[in-house]
Amino acid sequence: MSGIAQKLASNQKQVAISEFFEKNKHFLGFDSLARSLITAVKEAVDNALDACEEARILPTIRIQITKLDPKKDIIKLIVEDNGPGIPQKSIEKVFGQLLFGSRFHAIRQSRGQQGIGITGVVMYCQLTTGRTTHVRSKIATEPTAAIVDIGLDTRKNKATKANAGREMWYNEDGSSKEHGTEITAQMKAKYQKGRQSVWQYLRMTSIVNPHAEIIFIDPDGEKHHWTRVTERLPTKVESIKPHPHGIELGQLQRMVAESNDLNLNHFLLNNFSGVTNRARKELCQAAELEGTRKMKTLKGDDIRNLLEAFQGERLFNGQPAKLLKPPTNCLSPIEEILIKKGLSKTIDSRFVTTLTRVPNVTQGNPFQVEVGLIFGGSMAGDKPVEILRFANRVPLMYQQGGCLLTKAIESVDWRQYGLDQAGGKGVPKGPAAILVHLASTNVQFTSEAKEALADNGEVMEEARKAMLEMGRGLRKHLEKKKKMAKTKEKFELINDILPAIAEKSAQLLNRPVPELSGSITKIMSAVISESTTVWNKETKQTDVDIVLFNYTTRPRAYTILATWPEKAGAKMENNDTGGRKEALGVWAWKLEALQPGERKNITYSLSGLERGDWTDTEILFRGAQDVIGATKMDEKFLQEIRRQEQLLLEDESGGAQSEPTTKESSPEPTPKVAPIAETPPVAAEIVEPAVAPPEGQRTLFGGDV
Amino acid sequence: MSRMHTPEETKAAMHEVVAEMYDRIVKGEPPTMTLPVRTKNNIGFDKKLGVYKYGKKQSIRDATSLGSAKQLLRALHVVEFIEEMLDAGKSSTLREMYYISESWGMGKFGSQNDSNNLAEDLEIVTKCLREDFKLRPEEDGARMIGNLTLRERNRRGEWMRINARDDVGDSGYGVPYNVELEKIELLEHDIDFIMAIETGGMFDRLIENGFDEDYRCGLLHLKGQPARSTRRIMKRMSEEWDLPVVVFLDGDPWSFRIFASIAYGAIKTAHISEYLATPSATYLGITADDIVAYDLPSDDLSKKDIEALNAELSDPRFADSWWQDQINMMLELGKKAEQQSLAKYGLDFVTETYLPEKLAELGLA
Repeated sequence: MSGIAQKLASNQKQVAISEFFEKNKHFLGFDSLARSLITAVKEAVDNALDACEEARILPTIRIQITKLDPKKDIIKLIVEDNGPGIPQKSIEKVFGQLLFGSRFHAIRQSRGQQGIGITGVVMYCQLTTGRTTHVRSKIATEPTAAIVDIGLDTRKNKATKANAGREMWYNEDGSSKEHGTEITAQMKAKYQKGRQSVWQYLRMTSIVNPHAEIIFIDPDGEKHHWTRVTERLPTKVESIKPHPHGIELGQLQRMVAESNDLNLNHFLLNNFSGVTNRARKELCQAAELEGTRKMKTLKGDDIRNLLEAFQGERLFNGQPAKLLKPPTNCLSPIEEILIKKGLSKTIDSRFVTTLTRVPNVTQGNPFQVEVGLIFGGSMAGDKPVEILRFANRVPLMYQQGGCLLTKAIESVDWRQYGLDQAGGKGVPKGPAAILVHLASTNVQFTSEAKEALADNGEVMEEARKAMLEMGRGLRKHLEKKKKMAKTKEKFELINDILPAIAEKSAQLLNRPVPELSGSITKIMSAVISESTTVWNKETKQTDVDIVLFNYTTRPRAYTILATWPEKAGAKMENNDTGGRKEALGVWAWKLEALQPGERKNITYSLSGLERGDWTDTEILFRGAQDVIGATKMDEKFLQEIRRQEQLLLEDESGGAQSEPTTKESSPEPTPKVAPIAETPPVAAEIVEPAVAPPEGQRTLFGGDV
Repeated sequence: MSRMHTPEETKAAMHEVVAEMYDRIVKGEPPTMTLPVRTKNNIGFDKKLGVYKYGKKQSIRDATSLGSAKQLLRALHVVEFIEEMLDAGKSSTLREMYYISESWGMGKFGSQNDSNNLAEDLEIVTKCLREDFKLRPEEDGARMIGNLTLRERNRRGEWMRINARDDVGDSGYGVPYNVELEKIELLEHDIDFIMAIETGGMFDRLIENGFDEDYRCGLLHLKGQPARSTRRIMKRMSEEWDLPVVVFLDGDPWSFRIFASIAYGAIKTAHISEYLATPSATYLGITADDIVAYDLPSDDLSKKDIEALNAELSDPRFADSWWQDQINMMLELGKKAEQQSLAKYGLDFVTETYLPEKLAELGLA
């Protein structure tokens, strides 16, 4: 047994649990009374979200915090979910042992890569108050809920169980609860408000989990409700095998030792992602090892050579072995539209822009950066913007300054995008919040506390690029807003004021009301575009209407372009004007010259979206004369979109070929890479062959046992 | 000199403004209203009239922006409103017009200031007077005390003979908003000069000390920046009775401006300077010299005071060397003083020492 978890667990067995806690409290998230409470809520809520996600249930989570003894900082925490529930016989296992989840080793994106889960909370409660934790859990197939008080025998490091039984479980409205789990815990902790608080943690959680409904009752009895804004559950992520670029010596040694493969060839093909038959040959040659070597015969030096071949330090024909990128279907980005919804429901604003970059790879680990910016509304204009950091959907609340994601924000000169920023450096000021989410199979933190992301050039570059693009979006929005205000004024002028002037002056002079068209053209002296994007209840589609007026004295010709959520799976319907695809998510219509005083409408509908998914269409143009209400096409912006699109296409086709765990086949398979001989078993089982997840459930709210 | 216009003349003048807008629309152009630039950069000395008038710089207000277009529409509503008053024989205050504009829809005024400015704009382009338009200011006129007699037509249309010393109480004779011939006739007087005073406190001090009788003068309380009717009646008395006017104000940059508006014409009303200004008026005090000479209690100049003084240095009305010296001296001193600071030497100091000395310099005492 060489898993870190097991080592840790067995090493600690002889040590008093209180000592263990004291030594590891930073690592465990219990280093202060305020943080302990956040950690407890976090463990419970993360587990609830994970369990619901696995069982494909839309989560509803209720958290209640009560101060039992304000003088002694004793707090009662109740967390209730509607997850699948835990069968009675498994409850004590879930809580009782110092367990580490199997996901600790699985190579995929997951929430809980930190801490020791809910067991730690039970332990903390026991140590600080001497109280057990009350658990109530019901699975759908049983009529009653199981109840039990779980504690810990600190001497034996084993769970204690008391008052086990069964009872009916009723909801607030008197109906009986179908399934779910509830814990009631008492601990020494402090409830605080502000940037590092339970409230902030739940708010941030709600932003990145727009499918969850979260209800929080704070110690003052105030109810905070974050509603569910989408019925879409996060996509199920696949586990992948490790990529040779991301392997360390210890891990490779362990994998070799635990291998059941026939020989080195099979070992390489079966246990790694990105290793094709050709790559396998190249790796063997670079490592100067025969592919037919039995695994048992590989010695320390051989393994080191193999690692050096992995890392490109040993070459094949003067080149590092050619490996495919790892597949990226192990990542579950939140996606632009859902981030937008999450931000909008949480923060009052006037403008939201979000961006999900195409997945990339660093040191053999796939990662993906997502950003969101929310602007205006009731946010303070003279304070630094709020930074919302997330790693694999988990809010990061501490050590903001030392985090890579913060540094990426600080590296951008936000002044050019309409925010204040002293000297063009540091956290910008303005009525805005910036969200950054890193989804990765291997999130690197600066320290055990796991609150700040460690520097990484590639991640930094991706995050920076995303910020720049988002900043451009903000600038365009602000410019557009200004222009729209001007346009609105002009329309008021020609539609209301000018006719009134004509009428009144004619009446005073007792003359006929004059014709206005000449004056209107002179006053407007511009081409104007207006657009509406509205949800059509009957057709369940989003209707877009773009109008172009020529208020100049000469004919004008344009190509009009519009953004649309193609990436999110929208389809264009009833687009009678035709046009063509310009790039991913950008449609273009080349228009005949508009005569002076002439107008042209472009209408279409978008299907495959939910209400509220798409509320603002950006209109762009190519042409000599400015169009009020539209933005001149920035060809650089288009290039970047095309580049991302290219990456996306490559990714899809590449991933399908090299990665047998991919379930969907690519639409256009490229036959360049020969399929490998054997189909290895499912990835999750291969990752840590000898480290099978410990028996029983790894988390409090887990699914099947 | 401007004179009152008949209702027909007034209407015809206003129709020219309306026609400018109408004709532009017929030509397929944005409607416009042309008026002189109303800043100190566009006032010049009119040698013939002896006052400052608007120069030749014109500004064209055209309907290419929402704000200007709304101003034009408001002007049309005002024209219509004035015509209605002329036809009905009514008048209204500027403030009443502001409230009446509530029913003008898109042509309604944004603020009282808007309506005041527009009334002035119309005066300027039509060369009519506010009185022709039947518009009254909100502010009341000055108070006056002294042995002078005038007659005023009361509300019943009867002429009342009033002596501003014997027929009035302590608050003096109140100058109405209309002081034209149809309303006021100057009859006779037994005084040697008129003294205009900035503050009510000083006005009352001089009355209590019997200064008007001792020095045979008429006292006029300006109430800060004097209303049009106050300036107008000062001018009429000065011209019709051939009396000198001396002006006694605080010693600060704002008093200098008050004096300039009395003697040379105000920038805002430069279109009717010859009708309101009294070119022969003399600045008596408090001067910058006085602050030093009488060792008056003084305050430091504020940032705004200094800005105002510097602006006055480049104001054509203060171009002569006496004013340039006074302004520069005040800037050097960095001090200003109120009229009532003279009380440092006792309540009678102003009437027994200061004013006699100052008037003697002018040959009036």
